[in-house]
Amino acid sequence: MTSHRLPSLAGALFVPLVAWICYLLLLIPTLIVFPISLGNSAEMEFPPSNPSLDLYRQFFSDPAWWGSMIQSGIIALITTVLTIVLAVPAAYALQRSHIRGQGFVQGLIMGPLLVPVIVLALGLYLQLGPWGGLNSNLTLVLSHTMLAVPFMMLSVGASLRHIDPALENAALIMGASKRAVFFRVVLPQLASGIAAGSMFAFLISLDEVIVAYFITGPDTQTLPVKMYSAIRWEVSPVIAAISTLLTIVSFVLAIAIMFLERNQRTNTG
Amino acid sequence: MSGDAPYLTSRAGILLLAPLVILLLLFFVYPLLFTLWNSVYEGGLTVRAYEELFTSTLFYKVLRTTFVISFTATAVSLLLGYPVALHISRQPPGRRVIYLTLVMLPFWTSILVKSFALTVLLGYSGIINQMLGSISGGQLNIPMVFNRFGAIIGMINYLLPFMILSILGSLLAQDPNLARAAEVMGAGRFRIFRKVTLPLSMPGVMAGVIINFTLSIGMYITPALLGGRQDMMIANLIDFYTRQTLDWPVASAIAVVLLAISGILVAILGKVRGSQGTMGAAA
Repeated sequence: MTSHRLPSLAGALFVPLVAWICYLLLLIPTLIVFPISLGNSAEMEFPPSNPSLDLYRQFFSDPAWWGSMIQSGIIALITTVLTIVLAVPAAYALQRSHIRGQGFVQGLIMGPLLVPVIVLALGLYLQLGPWGGLNSNLTLVLSHTMLAVPFMMLSVGASLRHIDPALENAALIMGASKRAVFFRVVLPQLASGIAAGSMFAFLISLDEVIVAYFITGPDTQTLPVKMYSAIRWEVSPVIAAISTLLTIVSFVLAIAIMFLERNQRTNTG
Repeated sequence: MSGDAPYLTSRAGILLLAPLVILLLLFFVYPLLFTLWNSVYEGGLTVRAYEELFTSTLFYKVLRTTFVISFTATAVSLLLGYPVALHISRQPPGRRVIYLTLVMLPFWTSILVKSFALTVLLGYSGIINQMLGSISGGQLNIPMVFNRFGAIIGMINYLLPFMILSILGSLLAQDPNLARAAEVMGAGRFRIFRKVTLPLSMPGVMAGVIINFTLSIGMYITPALLGGRQDMMIANLIDFYTRQTLDWPVASAIAVVLLAISGILVAILGKVRGSQGTMGAAA
């Protein structure tokens, strides 16, 4: 009996042990930037001997840094709005109509998830050059929208599957136009799906490096592109402050997404 | 009531889909086709770029490096990710959310932040080497970044959540009564795992491995920031030909090769996951 119990005890300890090591390995790189961001601007210290907000002051007093943060924020916001405007009607159409080539359209929409981003970045760079579309906010937003669309489609598609088409038919019979039905019956029920999809879209655009690195120029450089070059050439402590700000945004949005998805599951059973 | 008749006419459906489809044709399909075109057209049709590629020792070296690094990172990610998925699947639903959050927060953190943090942790004068130095009186300093080790660590950190989520899906889909039945019949914990849980989770394992490997071979940021200068991966080679040598046909040819390899992997993933499978590649 004992010889049987021993390996089973080891097994019982092994799984939680490895799991906890992994949780730490995953979390430490994300969390370590918080204490480091409180250090001084001369060299990186852990733990900081004299905790201060110097690095944040340095970040906000350098227009090259906070300017690219504002640029990134604006690009991410416009990308989010455009993704909603394009993807929500498309998700609705895929669910409520039968058109020829539906499978092809679905594949096309999910395509950007399946292609390595570097391939898309090169393609866009080669294509936009002759079009005069490099170093342009418009093409940057359109490229980011292309990358964010699959996430919005998955999120809104999941919400759509949960709503009852009978409600739409009922509203139609009572004399509402299809347009009114969409805006007053369907859209309110999709609110949490759209909200989750929007946060995905915002984060994807905000954190996107590779495409932006290939197609932006001095006038359109985003925060991740500036960070990437900065980390590449000299690791300056101010990056710890930027990383902390970015991580806070990611955490807030990620928790909001998980909350919305959980709500959706419990609401619909 | 309305039977099978769709709620929207196909005309309405097409109108609602058209703007998105046009965007994707211009900013997704066209760049891919243009890359393919660029790899074979230099004032006339030619296979010069592919010839140059397949006779270049650099290309083979990069290909080998990419596969070795991707394979190692995927294997370690599987060995670490499986126990984590098992641990999460054994929690009651309330606590499961908390552990999932621990996995999802790093998943949503910018890859630049994670790479930067790893250089701070593992670098020459990083936190770990400072500790080693103070313990050993300045004797010990282990180079952990700007080499293959650093690239692999960074990639595992990025890949693990994908592996965990994929395996967790197939663990949670299992009927808990199966394990209970095996227990009633007198099977030990390890035996239940080996004979019931593990075989039933194989689809999740396969999907996780393919997703990890597909993501690995296309990785650009992590090898550029944490890897060795001599240890280029395919994505970095594309960048090298685009910016350094300005040989766009060769850059395009490498992209076509990378696209073909990922295409094959995604097709296998589709087979593993069944008809609706490929969508999960990102989530």
